[in-house]
Amino acid sequence: MTAKKIARRDIADLLNEWSREFGVFVPSRDEGVAKWARWGGGDAGFLEWYRNTVVPPKALFFPPLEEMFSFQKDGDGYHVGQPPPTEDRWLVFGIRPCDARALAVLALTFKDGYQDPYYLARRKNGVLVGLGCTRPYESCFCTSLGISPTDAANVDLMLTDIGDDFLVEAVTDKGKELLSKTSLVQAATGADEARAEEARDAAGARVTRKVDSQGAHEKLRAGFEDKDFWERVSAKCISCGICTFLCPTCYCFDISDELVKKQGARFRSWDSCAFPLYTKMPVENPRREKWRRLRQKVCHKYEFYPDSFDVIACTGCGRCIRLCPVNWDITRVLSSLPAQEQLRLER
Amino acid sequence: MGQDSEWQPRLLGFLCRWCSYAGADLAGTSRKKYPASIRVIRVPCSGRVDPLFILKALRLGFDGVLVSGCHPGDCHYQTGNYFTRRRMAIIKRFLEYMGIDPGRLQASWVSASEGGKFAEVVTEMTQEIRELGPNRLFTDEERDNGTKTAP
Amino acid sequence: MAPTDCLPMKNGIMEQRLRREAKALLEQGKVSCVIGFEAGSLKFTTTPLITGDKDDTQRLVISPFMANNLSVFLTGVKGRVAIVAKGCDSRSIVSLIQDNKVVREDVVIIGVPCSGVIDLTKVEGLVGKDRDEIADITRDGDKVLITVNGDKRECPVQEVLFDNCLACEMPTPQEYDILLGEPTAAAGDKEKAKSREKINSLETMKPDERWAFWRNEFSRCIRCYACRNVCPACFCERCFVEETEPPWVLPIPRWQDSLMFQVVRNLHVAGRCTDCGECERACPVGIPLRSLAREMYDIVGELFSYRAGMDKEAPPLLACYEPTDVEDFIR
Repeated sequence: MTAKKIARRDIADLLNEWSREFGVFVPSRDEGVAKWARWGGGDAGFLEWYRNTVVPPKALFFPPLEEMFSFQKDGDGYHVGQPPPTEDRWLVFGIRPCDARALAVLALTFKDGYQDPYYLARRKNGVLVGLGCTRPYESCFCTSLGISPTDAANVDLMLTDIGDDFLVEAVTDKGKELLSKTSLVQAATGADEARAEEARDAAGARVTRKVDSQGAHEKLRAGFEDKDFWERVSAKCISCGICTFLCPTCYCFDISDELVKKQGARFRSWDSCAFPLYTKMPVENPRREKWRRLRQKVCHKYEFYPDSFDVIACTGCGRCIRLCPVNWDITRVLSSLPAQEQLRLER
Repeated sequence: MGQDSEWQPRLLGFLCRWCSYAGADLAGTSRKKYPASIRVIRVPCSGRVDPLFILKALRLGFDGVLVSGCHPGDCHYQTGNYFTRRRMAIIKRFLEYMGIDPGRLQASWVSASEGGKFAEVVTEMTQEIRELGPNRLFTDEERDNGTKTAP
Repeated sequence: MAPTDCLPMKNGIMEQRLRREAKALLEQGKVSCVIGFEAGSLKFTTTPLITGDKDDTQRLVISPFMANNLSVFLTGVKGRVAIVAKGCDSRSIVSLIQDNKVVREDVVIIGVPCSGVIDLTKVEGLVGKDRDEIADITRDGDKVLITVNGDKRECPVQEVLFDNCLACEMPTPQEYDILLGEPTAAAGDKEKAKSREKINSLETMKPDERWAFWRNEFSRCIRCYACRNVCPACFCERCFVEETEPPWVLPIPRWQDSLMFQVVRNLHVAGRCTDCGECERACPVGIPLRSLAREMYDIVGELFSYRAGMDKEAPPLLACYEPTDVEDFIR
């Protein structure tokens, strides 16, 4: 595929073009907090400050709150209404490789056995336009998870920042189709492609946080019963939901029913394995202690999910590290896992 | 439930079992007239009323909340109503800061023998709430199901 | 008295003393655990250190960025513990003692005279750079030096301290077992008004506008409960939002429910909140929670001349009363 490019100053026009066909979502700021919002025209000012959002784009596919269906009660019983419709065609502009990869990781769960209609409908109708990073955070560690800040996998179109322009590559057929329909792109030169290569290397080099993600699996399995270790590393956790809610690969949810007078709705909302009541059942709560919950969280991402799906349920986006109120750091925890030999000796 | 569709104030009253609830009963048996605007929840003591109940009442759409207990010094549990007094003062101020009219939360001391006072309290409060208008604080059709931020 | 604890030298001395004392306490078996701060894994960050290992005490730090209120960990540990406490933290500890959640004899309070903690969000706003793109932030007396790309910029420390530090009423703990340095003055003596700026502007709005403001803010809430979980005053084992029979507040991030949660939470901690500011700092979506907490703090102060965490013998605000308590609003 021949690479194309688009001028930075033409991005706003491109978004306007696409808005005629799609509901377009772009990074935006609300009280200084970066989040995803509908493109409303104007200039693409977000290109100047955007690094990554606080709430990941998973929220566009698997919202923090969604109505599953409504119902009404009358003499005969319950009448169930259709769930609110999702948009026919919509587009996310600016998704980072870590978040795009995370959607692929999420899809494995939402397609496993039971096909989650809510997630899959949104995913099917959504087009992903990726944007490679130029300024990774100090908390980013995507390169340790087999991707890079400019990885083109998992999106339909990929943009790489080369200064006055963006290199544009079609990754899927959807992407090819989109490109073919706009006149705002031109062919990229060899020099452009070389600059893109440089930009990719530079971004990758800026990711300084590293963790041995592959080696974690064995250590986690061997050290599962190491209560001392888990108690020590979990002591400062306050069991809020920030890490799990802001994690682009976390997918746990809760279901609530609300009935007021004779009508109501069933809602799905985000839940967290970090909450003390997450595993509470009438008889007991198997993860009443905090250390068990944290152990589960880490093992789920780096051991159990790989066992089930051959992929680590973490893409190194670093939000959990950046926004944790007590600076709990999964990379530190993984790096301090006792080595196998150590454990054998201790036994 | 009225015949016409004109809005009528709906009040929720938390009445303490020993004084105010008995006072309300007396208002009934004495055939004192007062608007049929109040729904009553009996609590053992006005001190039982958690700020949560008041917010829940407003959330559900009640136009006004009344908390009524024994006069200071007469609480069946000695001190319960003193704590009510402190709590209600704080809640009213805080609600006002949030942008909720503090008139929607009212408190009264009504003893078991004050049937007349109870009727007066409800009559006056109903009129004041009528002037404040219906409670639309928590209604918001556009945002109600919270799904507008997602496609 | 000028702030004396913020010079690197002084910090170094306090730090060394802290490590010595903490180690000794563990070695002598006087405590089973030390709760303090160590260097964080991000720039300009500290992180809680909770340890029973005497060698770990070498990692303890005193830093201008030590924002956490460590007293939140007291209700989770067993046995006797030593805890590092700034002035505001010591008030939270006293408040917990007033509530009978913590026994005075079970804590060894290592007091740190504090003249304010630096708010990285304010620094970012000042220099227009994210914190991980700032080379250095150093406090030097009542000035702060910020280095970006080799350029140094100086500003008065009051411009970058947390809002609640500007209203600090107890820079030096009054309840302590060990005091690490000389008592210090609050850096924000003249800045109390500044710390209420947001609240004051809210108070000038019409009620409808205020409600619309909060409705808008809480549309961002994702119900992570970080605000509740960092709060030392929120120590209920089962919070009202976790009750399903009856479902007082649904656990869903609808603005009505999120707003109701926060209003009730603030009412529940009335008289026990010391305005440590942690709720606002912890919120990942930038809701100005301190504008609720501080308002509650001031309401309680105005109505009952009560300030949380000042006197460990005093009964909690809502467990006592005065015959003269205001009641002109009661029919």
